[in-house]
Amino acid sequence: MGKKVLVVDDDPDIRLFSITVLEENGYTPLEATNGEEGMQIIRKERPDLIILDVLMPRESGIRLYRQLQADAKLKKIPIIIMSGITLKSFLRSQKALTEFGGDPVPEPQTYLEKPVEPDELAEAIQAALK
Amino acid sequence: MSKILLIDDEEAIVRLLSMSLRSDGHEVVTALSGKEGLNVFQKENPELVLTDINMPGMDGIEVLQKIKSLQPDVEVVIITGHGDIDNAIEALKFGASDFINKPVRDEVLSVALHRAEEKRAMKMQLKAYTKNLEHKVFEATREVRRKSNFLAKLIRSSNDGIIATDDQMTIVIYNPGAWRIFGYMRDDVVGRRKITDLLPKETADAFGHRVGSHSKGNELTGVEIQIQAEGGELIPVLFYAAPLFEEDRVVGTVSFFRDLREIKRLEKELVSAERLAAIGQTVAGVAHGVKNILHGFKGGSYLVDLGINKGDNDKLVKGWDMIQRNITRTSDLVMDLLTYSKEREPEYQTCDPNAIIMDVCEVMQDKAAEHQVKLVTELDSAIDSVSMDPHTIHQCLTNLISNAIDACLFDENIGKNWQVTVKSQFEDDQHFKISIEDNGMGMSQEVMAKLFSSFFSTKGHRGTGLGLLVTRKAVQEHGGTIDVQSQEGKGTIFTLRLPFNQLDN
Repeated sequence: MGKKVLVVDDDPDIRLFSITVLEENGYTPLEATNGEEGMQIIRKERPDLIILDVLMPRESGIRLYRQLQADAKLKKIPIIIMSGITLKSFLRSQKALTEFGGDPVPEPQTYLEKPVEPDELAEAIQAALK
Repeated sequence: MSKILLIDDEEAIVRLLSMSLRSDGHEVVTALSGKEGLNVFQKENPELVLTDINMPGMDGIEVLQKIKSLQPDVEVVIITGHGDIDNAIEALKFGASDFINKPVRDEVLSVALHRAEEKRAMKMQLKAYTKNLEHKVFEATREVRRKSNFLAKLIRSSNDGIIATDDQMTIVIYNPGAWRIFGYMRDDVVGRRKITDLLPKETADAFGHRVGSHSKGNELTGVEIQIQAEGGELIPVLFYAAPLFEEDRVVGTVSFFRDLREIKRLEKELVSAERLAAIGQTVAGVAHGVKNILHGFKGGSYLVDLGINKGDNDKLVKGWDMIQRNITRTSDLVMDLLTYSKEREPEYQTCDPNAIIMDVCEVMQDKAAEHQVKLVTELDSAIDSVSMDPHTIHQCLTNLISNAIDACLFDENIGKNWQVTVKSQFEDDQHFKISIEDNGMGMSQEVMAKLFSSFFSTKGHRGTGLGLLVTRKAVQEHGGTIDVQSQEGKGTIFTLRLPFNQLDN
C-alpha cells in the first residue's frame, strides 16, 4: 500500500489525470469534487498529501486551504496546489483575505500552474512526501 | 432760534433791538461799527446778521459785501432809514436777504427774521441735497465704471471665444478666447470683418436667418460645428449665438465658441483605454480557460500514451474521451468568445417565440430528465408573431434554461422536487415577456453582483464565464431588457422583456 494522496478538483478530467499519475507511481489515490467533500475525507482518511485545485464551485480550494492551515493537526499535511491561476494572483488573493481579518497563512509548499506535465507532478509529489 | 449779530452805530437802538430779539429767544451779539461788526462776525460765527445801512466808517453795504465774501450762506438783513429805497435796492443786489425800515417795529423785525431763517434753512437744505446728489452721481459713475471694467475683464479672461457684432454683423468685440480658436489678430477683425465670414456657410446662413432676424427667441443654442481657423485647421466648437436687444430693437449679436479639441481628444483616449482594458481582461480570462483545457489535453494524451505503451485499453478509452471532451470545451469557449466579440447585426424575421421556446425545451428535456428536473412550459397564445432574430433568441433561451437546470443540479437540498418553468406572457401592445423560473440553489448577493461580468462562473470547469454576458448582449441588441430575481436556497427567475416589433424601435 502506497501513501494516501487526496485529489480535490471539480474537473473530472483533471482528477483522472492526477489519479493516473498517482497510480502509475505507486500511490493510493483518494478523490473529492469540492472543498467540503475534501474536508470530510481528510478527517476520515488522514491522507499523506493533498493535491488541491483553487477555483471550484461551492467550497473553494482557497477556503479549504485556509481551514487546513488553521488546524494544528491538519496543517502538517503537505499540500500541492495545482491551478490555472498564476501563483502571483493566488498570493494576492491570500493577502486580501488576510487583510479582511483572517489569520495569515503560510505559502503553499508547492504551487503548480496548469497545464502540468505528468513527470512534473510525479516529481512534486515525491518531493512533498520526503 | 438763531444766533444773530446786530450792528448799529446808535447804542440805544442796539440795546433796544437786542432786548427785543433776546425776548424772542434768539442769541444776540452786538457791534457799534461796521469794522467791529466784521470782527465779531468772524469770532462768533452767527447765522444771521442785522446791520444798519448808514454808519460812519464802514457802512452797511460794505459790511454786507465783506460778510458775503467770507460766508455766502449767511443771511444779512439791512436796516435802512425811512425812504432810503435806493440804498435798500442796492443792498438786495449785493445779496441781502431782506431790508426793514427805521424805526424798527417788532412785528416787522420778527417777520423779516423769520423769512431770513426760512431762506437760510432752504438754502442749507438745497446745499445738502446738492452735495448728496453729487455724491450719488460720483458713486454711480464709479459703480458703472467698475461694472464695465468687470465685464471687460470677464470677456477678456473667458476661456470661451466671445465675438459680439453691431446690427450690421460687423465685429466689435473679439476676446483672446476667440483669438485662440480662430487665430486671426484682434485688429484684423474688429471693425473690419463680419461674424458670418468666420462661420461655416451653413451656420452663417442660419445665423443670418435666425439671429439676424429682428425677433426675440431666435438664439442658436449649443450647436456643434467646425470652424476653419486662419491656418486652415478645422476646429470643433460648441456654438451659441443670440441677438442683442435694446428695448425691441436689435443692436447687435453675440456669439460664444467653446473649443472642443481637448474634449474630443480625451473622448478618443477614453474609448481606446476602455477597449484596451476590456481586451486585457478578456485575454486574462481566456488564458485561464485555455490553461485548464490544455491541462485536460495533456492529461488525455498522457492516458492515451499509457494505454498504447501498456496495451491498456481502458486507459486508451478514458484518455481519448478526455481529449474529445476538451475539444468540446475549446469549441464552446471559442464560440462564446466569437459571439460576444462580434459586432453582429441581428437578422430579424417574423417568427413565433412560443415555437422557439418549445423547440429549446425539447432539446433540453433529456438533460433535465437526467438530473430529475421537471421542465414545464406555460405559453401565452396571444404572442404569435414577433419580429426578431430566431437564432439569437434560441441561443439565449438555451443558455438560460440550461443555467436553470444547473441551478437545480447544484442544489444541496436533495429533498426538493426540482422544476424549471418557462413562461411567455403578453404585456402590452409593444412588449412581451419570457421568464425562466427554477426552484434550485438560488444565488447570494455576492454572486448576483458578479452575474454579468466576464469569466465569472460558479460552475467551475463546466462554464466559460461568458454565457450570461452573451445573452444580455443579444437581448439588448433586440431592444429588450433582462432582469433577475433570486433567493439563496429558494430559486431564481430570469425575465426577458422584448418588443414585438423591431421596426418600431
